[in-house]
Amino acid sequence: MRIRWTVVSTLVAAAAVVWAASIQGQAPAPAAAGQAPAAPRAAAPARPAAAAGARTDDGRPNLNGVWQAINSANWDIEAHHADAGPHNNIMGAWGAEPPGMGIVEGGTIPYKPDALKKKQDNFKNRMMVKVSNDPHRFDTGDTELQCYRPGVPRANYMPFPFQIFQNKEQILMVYEYKGAMRTVFMDKHQDAPVDSWMGWSNGRWEGDTLVIDVTGFNGHQWLDRAGNFFSDTAHVVERWTPRGRDHMMYEATIEDPTVYTRPWKISFPVYRRLETNAQLLEFNCVPFVEEMMYTPLGLYNPPNRSSR
Amino acid sequence: MHMRNRMLWVTTAITLAMVGALSITVLVAQTPAAGKKALPKTTTDTDAAIKAAADAFKKETELKTYTVPKTSWGEPDLRGVWNTATYTRLQRPVELGNKAFYTEEEAIAEYKKAAESDAEVDPRTVHYDWKEYAMDAWQGGTRPNLRTSLIVDPENGRLPPLTPEAQQRRAAAAAAAKQQDPMLGIKTFGNLYTRCVLGLGALPLVRGGMPGADSAAAAAGVTAEAFFFQSPGYMTIVMQSNNDVRIIPTDNRPHAPSQVRQWLGDSRGHWEGNTLVVESTNFNDPKPATHFLGATDSISIVERFTRVGPNTMRYQYTVSDPKTWTKPWSVDTTMPRVDPSMIYEFACHEQNYGLINVVTGTQIRFREGTRDLRGNGAPE
Repeated sequence: MRIRWTVVSTLVAAAAVVWAASIQGQAPAPAAAGQAPAAPRAAAPARPAAAAGARTDDGRPNLNGVWQAINSANWDIEAHHADAGPHNNIMGAWGAEPPGMGIVEGGTIPYKPDALKKKQDNFKNRMMVKVSNDPHRFDTGDTELQCYRPGVPRANYMPFPFQIFQNKEQILMVYEYKGAMRTVFMDKHQDAPVDSWMGWSNGRWEGDTLVIDVTGFNGHQWLDRAGNFFSDTAHVVERWTPRGRDHMMYEATIEDPTVYTRPWKISFPVYRRLETNAQLLEFNCVPFVEEMMYTPLGLYNPPNRSSR
Repeated sequence: MHMRNRMLWVTTAITLAMVGALSITVLVAQTPAAGKKALPKTTTDTDAAIKAAADAFKKETELKTYTVPKTSWGEPDLRGVWNTATYTRLQRPVELGNKAFYTEEEAIAEYKKAAESDAEVDPRTVHYDWKEYAMDAWQGGTRPNLRTSLIVDPENGRLPPLTPEAQQRRAAAAAAAKQQDPMLGIKTFGNLYTRCVLGLGALPLVRGGMPGADSAAAAAGVTAEAFFFQSPGYMTIVMQSNNDVRIIPTDNRPHAPSQVRQWLGDSRGHWEGNTLVVESTNFNDPKPATHFLGATDSISIVERFTRVGPNTMRYQYTVSDPKTWTKPWSVDTTMPRVDPSMIYEFACHEQNYGLINVVTGTQIRFREGTRDLRGNGAPE
């Protein structure tokens, strides 16, 4: 919690600077297609080397770099006011939930009636941890609480940076949260060979927009801590559109006939982390959740001899 | 093979069965569209695999001149999936003395022996036949090796002597384990792989083979793929095992501040001709586990990656830890390139009921009084 909040508060300041620069029109326009990328190898680069060129050598927008969304969608993707967090008796303002205007276009997620009830139950049970050997082990609280992979699109608006690595054939996205990763296949598209947490990503360029088709979800994903969710029939189409060298618009259309009455959309900007030493660090959260998950089973602390 | 080593610690039948169940579940979850098309013969037929491995080995060792392809931005192209499994031991068997190399024929014979013993199933001791799940190293593209050990320095192919401090540390850990089995609770359970904290061998990548030899997490035949994703200014290595990710900047930036300590340290790379040199420091204190071979947070590792053939990467590394070994030691080996060039999701912690079962089984034995000390169970 402490780490996340530090990152968020630092970012808010950074965001203000980026935002101000962009609305003043200072972000340089993308260079012409085909321009060779600048590749400074100076000992102390003024900006991250991989971010130097506005275009890659095959003429695409250069998305290489460390990025982060600045919003409170991870608490609730719909509009919400601030609230006390769980265990505010000890967590106080650290654990409180920040307010937000929401990222859902039109404001409301078009749930089917049963699904809306499940969303509400999810919220009530969001801190439920049920570790077991049976197939219902995922019928539990928020996956983030237990350090499970966040899925897509949630990974893109968690309060952690992520890094995009780009070459012509594939794009690799690595998220600081849990070190979760996904490969976006640009050249060889195929159906998801197996269901997964992060889904299967096939990408293509539409002009300067990176369009990624994500399928093959395992159905355990939550979209936020408020219990919003989709099922294993979800289909997510992401659109990443650069609006300058240091920010881009992110849009995702979410379709899931099991859960929603129609496809719906989220959108928010994503900002480049401009610190010259910007770097994803490890947030390997498995050791942070072991005590919470395994103490109720009596498996965290070794039994002492008198309990034998 | 790590599966087997993991099995060795788990002496009760209950936990055996359950660890097996975990392994199979993980694999089923990872195996793409199994059963649709015929498997390649090299994953089903030991003889075919041995012949293919020997042919690849000969072809690549006979290669006299090789020009490393370049990426479109001008770096030596190391992209692809490289296989980290090996049958070569980390340390040279003592009986080989100073014999550093096999002849070609000996190397192939050694490989054949290792692959055949790997493929063998003893129904009295093994509940699952790993090769059915393509978990044997010979099924993944592992090749014969002229070297008799991975270690090339010291000259005898053996780890240097431990420092007095490391000897004391080891003795204290062994004494504590006699008092209480570390597997009785996750708080004391030092095995990072079983806890899904780290996968097998992200740093260094190749650790030495043969069942029962050297480290517990020695050469895995399963999930031994390292995906090298190269982009301007970065080499990123994604491991199949646990999907561990190593992001290596190659733009000469300084290391992270020394206060930043990480499981996989902090890596910085630079190019020396065709070789990518990667230096890793800033490792954490992983208690109750240890780093590679019992090393401490003062370990540092320098790796050198050189593509020496279309399908061969030379991989050298030097390990230093003044708190553990009396001098640094070095490895020189190769990794074959394998297809396809992708990595599947490895969601380990998300379904880690194997850990629950291992600890539960250990606690049951403890309460029954049959196994209060590791490996010292009363006769059944």
